Amino acid sequence: MTDTVDANLRALLAGVLGLGEDRAAALTADSGLFGELPEFDSMAVATVLTEMEDRLGILIDDDEVEGEIFETYGNLLDFAERKVRG
Amino acid sequence: MDEQLFRLSPAGPPRATVLFIPPLFEEANRVRRTLVLAMRALVAEEFAALLPDLPGQNESLVPLVEANLERWRSALADVARGVDGPLIVASLRGGCLIDHDAEAAAWWRLAPANGASLLRTLLRARVSADREAGIASSIEGLREAAKTGALLLAGNRLSPAMIAQLGDAEARAVEPLRTVTLGKNEDKIAGTPLWLRAEPGEDAAMARAIADDIIGWSRSCGVI
Repeated sequence: MTDTVDANLRALLAGVLGLGEDRAAALTADSGLFGELPEFDSMAVATVLTEMEDRLGILIDDDEVEGEIFETYGNLLDFAERKVRG
Repeated sequence: MDEQLFRLSPAGPPRATVLFIPPLFEEANRVRRTLVLAMRALVAEEFAALLPDLPGQNESLVPLVEANLERWRSALADVARGVDGPLIVASLRGGCLIDHDAEAAAWWRLAPANGASLLRTLLRARVSADREAGIASSIEGLREAAKTGALLLAGNRLSPAMIAQLGDAEARAVEPLRTVTLGKNEDKIAGTPLWLRAEPGEDAAMARAIADDIIGWSRSCGVI
């Protein structure tokens, strides 16, 4: 399950941010996202949230979306895994 | 008001015409170059290809706030009526929500989006931009405000009617229909979701695959 979420999330970021498979595969838990990657603007944040819902089959309440979720890849993955576990 | 209609035609009479219905809002800009490449590939196979501007989109002089999905469906039906010979409607993403009033010999859809998801992304982008500007807003608050007044969402000024229609919109049943998504197996188009991409790009291989798939579907339906 965890591997699937990780793979889904990397594919999603590769698509939305145009990272390509290599850069997406090279993301580590400490890789910075919002503020680090110039492609990651507020529209990209919105797109990522909606795509996470569609691809992971989860519902995200926007009140629970804090800024730190998008600070690093590790934070985003933790959030996604928590949501998938329910 | 007449809208711009980008048309590519072969030298001789076309075997059929493909009417492309682009994704909605910003997503249309992100795939336009690849769509035009697909249109050129179709013309090389003796098809004509059309890419209309929806009222309020692209080069249209109509203010977007005057547009809604019903108006777009009817504008596309008008474009379809103006085509001589067999017509295939090829729609992408949110374009699949407005393709069913056009009369066609066959429909082809790529990665259909539902209206609620498109709207949620636009609302989220507004909340996120508000937050950066130090303004507190919420998706629920914006939904409430949209019942009585237009909203500016990610650069798009949308009327209450547009927002209400978008929130409920799903692709309708049409016949004969082929729906493809992105991926590597059968009934998939290899490529990346350019319509989601923060920076516009183009994908020539994906354009070729789109054209090939539409041609194959036209043949299966007996259109060519």
